[in-house]
Amino acid sequence: MRKAIAFGFYILISVAGSDVIAQISPGKLAAVHAHLEGISNCTKCHELGDKVTNAKCLDCHLELKSRIEQKRGYHASTEIRGKNCVNCHNDHHGVNFQILRFDKEKFNHDLTGFKLTGIHAKKECKECHKAEHFTDTKVKNKKFTYLGLSNACLGCHIDYHQKTMASACSNCHGFDAFKPALKFNHALTKYPLTGTHQSVPCVKCHEVTTKNGVKFQEFAGIGFQSCSNCHTDPHQNKFGQNCTECHVTESFHTVKGISNFDHSRTKFKLEDKHQNVSCKKCHKTSVTAPLKYARCLDCHADYHNNQFTKQGVVQDCSGCHNTKGFTLFSYTVEQHNSGNFKLEGAHLATPCFACHKKQEKWSFRSVGLHCVDCHKDIHETYIKKEIYPDASCENCHNPFRWNNITYDHSKTGFVLSGAHLKPTCRDCHFKKEADGREIQRFSSLTKGCIQCHSDIHFKQFESNGVTNCLKCHNDNLWKITNFDHNSTAFRLDGKHQHVACVKCHKPVTVEQNTFVLYKIKGTRCENCH
Amino acid sequence: MSIGHKIYIVTLVVIVVVVFVFLCLIGFSYYNVPLEERFFHESHNLLKPGGTLGHGLGIFGSLSMIFGMLLYMVRKRMRSLSRLGVLKHWLEFHIFLCTLGPVLVLFHTSFKFGGLVAVSFWSMVAVFLSGIIGRFIYIQIPRTIEGRELSLNEVRDMKTNIGLMLSESFKLDETSHNLIVESTKRKVELYQANFIAQYIKKFITDRKTIRSVRVVLKKNKLPHSDLRKVLKLVKHEISLNRRIEQLVTMQKLFKYWHVAHLPFALVMVIIMIIHVAVTIVLGYRWIF
Repeated sequence: MRKAIAFGFYILISVAGSDVIAQISPGKLAAVHAHLEGISNCTKCHELGDKVTNAKCLDCHLELKSRIEQKRGYHASTEIRGKNCVNCHNDHHGVNFQILRFDKEKFNHDLTGFKLTGIHAKKECKECHKAEHFTDTKVKNKKFTYLGLSNACLGCHIDYHQKTMASACSNCHGFDAFKPALKFNHALTKYPLTGTHQSVPCVKCHEVTTKNGVKFQEFAGIGFQSCSNCHTDPHQNKFGQNCTECHVTESFHTVKGISNFDHSRTKFKLEDKHQNVSCKKCHKTSVTAPLKYARCLDCHADYHNNQFTKQGVVQDCSGCHNTKGFTLFSYTVEQHNSGNFKLEGAHLATPCFACHKKQEKWSFRSVGLHCVDCHKDIHETYIKKEIYPDASCENCHNPFRWNNITYDHSKTGFVLSGAHLKPTCRDCHFKKEADGREIQRFSSLTKGCIQCHSDIHFKQFESNGVTNCLKCHNDNLWKITNFDHNSTAFRLDGKHQHVACVKCHKPVTVEQNTFVLYKIKGTRCENCH
Repeated sequence: MSIGHKIYIVTLVVIVVVVFVFLCLIGFSYYNVPLEERFFHESHNLLKPGGTLGHGLGIFGSLSMIFGMLLYMVRKRMRSLSRLGVLKHWLEFHIFLCTLGPVLVLFHTSFKFGGLVAVSFWSMVAVFLSGIIGRFIYIQIPRTIEGRELSLNEVRDMKTNIGLMLSESFKLDETSHNLIVESTKRKVELYQANFIAQYIKKFITDRKTIRSVRVVLKKNKLPHSDLRKVLKLVKHEISLNRRIEQLVTMQKLFKYWHVAHLPFALVMVIIMIIHVAVTIVLGYRWIF
């Protein structure tokens, strides 16, 4: 028996050797705890009679202890607080045992005090939990830790705004993407966006520039007191700097307070009739849309339908018209006279429309320069064309007075003299018919007296079908100055010279015509006596 | 073997097998996981050495072995208890407890063998294996029903006159008769090589002998029942020959075996006590 016991101890010592005492450990510690290997270190983790206590763990893990005391982080959460460390972080399972291993899918990051939402939830742990993001200097040099991060966004993220904005990024930015800043509400800023400003891309006002060598978008310090902080003044300060007096943010082209608008501050002053015209008459699309105004035709239709086009350019209305009214034109006689047709005489008193509105429309071209273009040639079939070539009235008439005829009647071969100078042309050339119609007689009129005058002698002095009154009568006073009774077959002499004519030439009635009979048939005395 | 004893043996075997199979089944998944991963296995808290079941296995395994060892030692060594039951049955119960114990302890270790306690474990394995060897040697030494070793002369007296039996009971030709009788005679000339080589050589020779007897018996067209009887008789005689030939060697081996079996058990128990003490000191008290 003694031998057996001795042999037993011999085996014990030979098999186990001196190292055996150090091998009470149930297994190798994980690599991170390798420095705790050895029998002298057992009580660094194990409490005699009380397994492994949290206090022992936290005696080494001071940064964690500090956080738990501050009630910060995952281990201070209600779900974790009070649990034994070894329930999750065991050891003696080999050098390669992962003391810290959690299921990424199941780990509730919310308990850490930093809720993973949006894109954060899709990131790999190490993308955030890396040394360059550590703000806690105590863990800066640790090879492996999930501590050290700050809850603040800038703990991990670069401050894109370079300290120009408040550090509470989440006031504006969501967790799904940095851009766009979905939580940002411009309405809460000092410059709420209204109208079209709401749809303007941010970058239009908040310029992307470079600051400190990196891309930077300005959000702070943007001037907004005046519209011109962002907008260029298309009016070049003609209307002052307060754009909102006229414009609204809905659209630059939507103008408010138009009734107060002083059009005289524009390049086109509203005068006379223009003052009463509705804005939309000219500003058809928008009052702010660029509008041509230099020429009347920029707004007005060419009433005259290109009649005033010279060398392909339509002359402007202002040459004749003014703003007092379309019909109140300013075209002068002098201007008219500078043209091809001078206004003289009665033409000066003739209303324009008499010539220029012969039909429904006004016409200023192709009116014609000849009288017949306006006037009716009443003589057309009565006067020979040779008398007034080209129907030119001016051969006889003038513009000053129509009945002031200047025709040289001698051209007709019938020289006007004596009493013929007194009557008007009309007296001879217009014969009133019994029915009241006037019949012109120009070409049809011969030199015969009885063409005009009545032959009271009833053809007694007709010779070869022609009765020449001037054989007896004077054309001046109608007196019988050209008659010599002695040239007749009955010479007056003696007493006959003093006898009244009627004593011999007595009225007779022949075929109901009563006339003085001058052609007495007989020259014998008994014919009278 | 009585029926009661058979039931007793079967029950003990069944218990061991059932426990082994049960533990294999519930722990198969866990024990197949690498050591570094076991902590994360769902059964870790149940099956780890300090777990609800694992720790219990260790406690009951250890108690089983200590109890089995002490019981047998006390029964065998204390004269006052020498009449308490048959020693053979006590040995069987000792074997049962000291087989069940290592099985439980094996699962308690969760197949993780390291540190000081591993010495205890491997000592246990050594004790277990030596027990099997011991059991083999034990069988090789003929005993009375009480387990007392028979002397060489007593064993020799057990030999049967097989020649007489054959000629009286069975009709065999002379050649066959002689061959069988010859085969059951001791062959002293073989005892020359070392023990193991000699044992193996003897085993092979005996198998050949039995085979040749079977061939001869078949040639004589012996009825099947007679053939079995003769073969049994031949086997018994050959076995007896072996025992007679190895009795002295076995008795020597058995003496040495005791010197090995017990110290390993002792080492196992001492380290086990250290292991348990450390465990208790560090606060691991199973369910208590």
